[in-house]
Amino acid sequence: MKRFSLLWLAGSSLLWAGVALAAIRPHYGGTLRLTMRQTPQALDPISLVQADASNLARLIYDTLIVLDHRGQPEPSLAVGWQAESGNQRWRISLRNGVSFSDGTKMDANTVAASLRAANPDWRVLAGTDTVIVQTAEPHPYLLAELALPRNSIVHGGLQPSGTGPFSLAQWTPGKHLSLSATEQYWKGRPFLDSIELDFGMGDREQSASFDLGRTDVAEIAPENIRRARAEGRAVVTSSPSELLALVFSAAPQSDEEAHLRNALALSLDIPAINNVVLQGGGEPTGALLPNWLSGYGFVFPFQASSERARQECALAKQRAPLLLAYDASDPVAHTIAERILLNARDAGVTLQLTTHGPAGVTLARIPLASMDPQTSLTELTRTLKIPTPAFTGNSAPEIYSTERELLRSRRMIPLIHLRTAIMLGPNVRQVALFPDGSLYLNDAWLEVQKP
Amino acid sequence: MSWDDHSHQLEPVDAGYNSRILQMLPSSRARWLCCAFLLLSQLAFGADWRRPAAQLAEKISALTGPGVIALEITNRSSIASADVEQIRHLVVSELAASGVRVWQPDQAAATAEVTLSENLQSYVWVAQIQQGSAAEPSLAMVSFDRPAFSVGGQNSPLMVLRATTLMSQTEPILDAVVLDGSPRRALLLSGTGVSIFDFQDGRWVLAQTLPIVHGAPFPRDLRGRILLGKDHLFDVYLPGLACRSSEAGSLTLACSPSDDPWPLVTADFGLSGFYTPARNFFTGVLAPGIGKQKSGPPFYSAAPILKGNYILWVLSGTDSQVHLLDGINQQTASKLRWGSNLAGIRAACRSDWLVLATSQEEPEDSVQAFEFPDREPLAASQRLALNGPVQALWSQQNGESVTAVYANSETGNYEALQLTLACGQ
Repeated sequence: MKRFSLLWLAGSSLLWAGVALAAIRPHYGGTLRLTMRQTPQALDPISLVQADASNLARLIYDTLIVLDHRGQPEPSLAVGWQAESGNQRWRISLRNGVSFSDGTKMDANTVAASLRAANPDWRVLAGTDTVIVQTAEPHPYLLAELALPRNSIVHGGLQPSGTGPFSLAQWTPGKHLSLSATEQYWKGRPFLDSIELDFGMGDREQSASFDLGRTDVAEIAPENIRRARAEGRAVVTSSPSELLALVFSAAPQSDEEAHLRNALALSLDIPAINNVVLQGGGEPTGALLPNWLSGYGFVFPFQASSERARQECALAKQRAPLLLAYDASDPVAHTIAERILLNARDAGVTLQLTTHGPAGVTLARIPLASMDPQTSLTELTRTLKIPTPAFTGNSAPEIYSTERELLRSRRMIPLIHLRTAIMLGPNVRQVALFPDGSLYLNDAWLEVQKP
Repeated sequence: MSWDDHSHQLEPVDAGYNSRILQMLPSSRARWLCCAFLLLSQLAFGADWRRPAAQLAEKISALTGPGVIALEITNRSSIASADVEQIRHLVVSELAASGVRVWQPDQAAATAEVTLSENLQSYVWVAQIQQGSAAEPSLAMVSFDRPAFSVGGQNSPLMVLRATTLMSQTEPILDAVVLDGSPRRALLLSGTGVSIFDFQDGRWVLAQTLPIVHGAPFPRDLRGRILLGKDHLFDVYLPGLACRSSEAGSLTLACSPSDDPWPLVTADFGLSGFYTPARNFFTGVLAPGIGKQKSGPPFYSAAPILKGNYILWVLSGTDSQVHLLDGINQQTASKLRWGSNLAGIRAACRSDWLVLATSQEEPEDSVQAFEFPDREPLAASQRLALNGPVQALWSQQNGESVTAVYANSETGNYEALQLTLACGQ
């Protein structure tokens, strides 16, 4: 299953109440060991986002803005902001006394250069202690976009440095990363001395490593959450957030093609896929945004109707099989793709599975980009390379209208919002998974085990 | 509750409804508290559902026109069930005012399925209206801001250990001191400054804020103390920083880098401990020391037990153990499962000091008073449950109260409490 990169905005970079300290005060010291499926090849924020490893960006870099637990912007490297000219021009005041890990002082010029590199469409001007961001169109949710990991503030070229809580100690692309605590981190030195990350490890490998005590935090695939809990492991899950969807390569070119897509959507027994293949690791959906983020997701239908599917199929007049691509490295993708193939066949739609080459439709996972619904929808369209929607406002009805139009474009069929899950070693404290699935390690610490 | 008119009438969408999505359920206690908080906060905020109910009813009646409809209401939000019934009544009466009567489904020309939903910031109410044989329902939606809930501290009439809420705020509170007088004043210490409140008309009113300026970054788990002075109003101890208020005239605060030890209980006890400037614990080096013991293990907090001719010090070590120092010997109370925060407290009816200790439970926490007849603690009060982990526990000047700060896991606010031990209950 291809993991759409772009987004994964772990974003939110929330510093919220869920990260409150426990009854035992945090201990300083120690090394936290993590394993991950991803294989990032570069550590700049954009590469990390594209490698679906945005969580790493938050360890090394900071953004100007973070979003709180309600998705509201809060200062980070910025200390204040002011919108001018109808939200088309934003003046952002910068925090003083912050340095990059290479020793360079953060100033308006470095911030402006960083934002320009990540957003070629923006005009970014450097003042004394401010930067001014100008956009071609009014951008009322610019602050949420500034909280995206790809807008992390960096300094330098191929191996950029950041202002984050950890700095690079050792790096083997795609395999291993060692991070050391930044002693003079502007928000206070992390409790951990270091973090060791091993990449490219499948679920079984991670589980074995965890059982052998070689890792403290391991990922759990959604289909394994139930079993991990039954085995008594300390499992932490996010809200349903990552979208599993069928994504078409282009908009329908004819009415017949539109009918074919309708037929496919109506043929799918999504609850069965979730309950059987994914072992309840997600929630069936007909929406792009999870309901906890939008408040209206339940109005979009997802229930199968074989009769209507057959009617649509008859109108489609399908002449050639539709190629369905999936990620061969994803252990459940093949099973899900086969289920879809069988459901479609029952409605008269012919699919053919492939793991490589161009395909008419792809089974994809799309991480939730932000705790801000507008930003999430916008990033989704960027991922799919379809026109960015224009929002008329930020209320639920207005965002609903935009999402409905996106769904009506028939570029994708939402299937399931998946939970992100991790298991924690017995002495790991304050590792948080936020509702959007982003992993927060900045407050993590390791408890000293009593003799 | 702020209100924005976000109501929109929407075009029809495809028919079909998702099954109810079960979000992660909090513990029963948390649910109970949540409901109680919601109820209380709704009362506090006036629970005025009239405007959104009127807006929704207006949208429904615009779609159905005058006549008879069936109405179903499903709650998938945090709104309390009692409020749901109230909302239903409001919607029905608003519909009636528009000429739409609510009746049984078999006698209705249309069915309105209203779902009370929510997102991170707003309540979202959706009406899906099925009329006649139309294949697709019409949709009406209103959204409006959810209130930011605020709750008081824990208090129980049966408690011997009493809690009085002093302050609640989103910024972490490090310590708080109450000055009796007229008016009563409270000093609240945070990482950014000292806020001075006057007690007026039954509530604390912010009178002045004195910013704390520091060069080096503070540690992540920031701790700090505020202690009343003798010839000036107060001193502030922060990691690597000491601040002193002005002695006369308008109140100012001067801070400078400092490695001076912090008084462990109050200045009267004459024992201080050196605090690590970039961490969250005392190094263990004591000034001037406990008898012959000039140092102990690194520790988070300490409490004294007066023992006639000596003081037994109880230390919460960074090794998660409780250590006892009597001036000669050091013992480890390995069986105790206490948290990192301890503080000494006195009850008016007793001459000795007791120890207030936190638990090691997560994510909730509790505080309990213990006495030390010998070297084993005995519970001297009930456990005072707090809805979140304790962040700070500091004895106040006279030892007759302790300031507790906890992070309320329901609201995300930091709550400062004044804890006292009441006798004879």
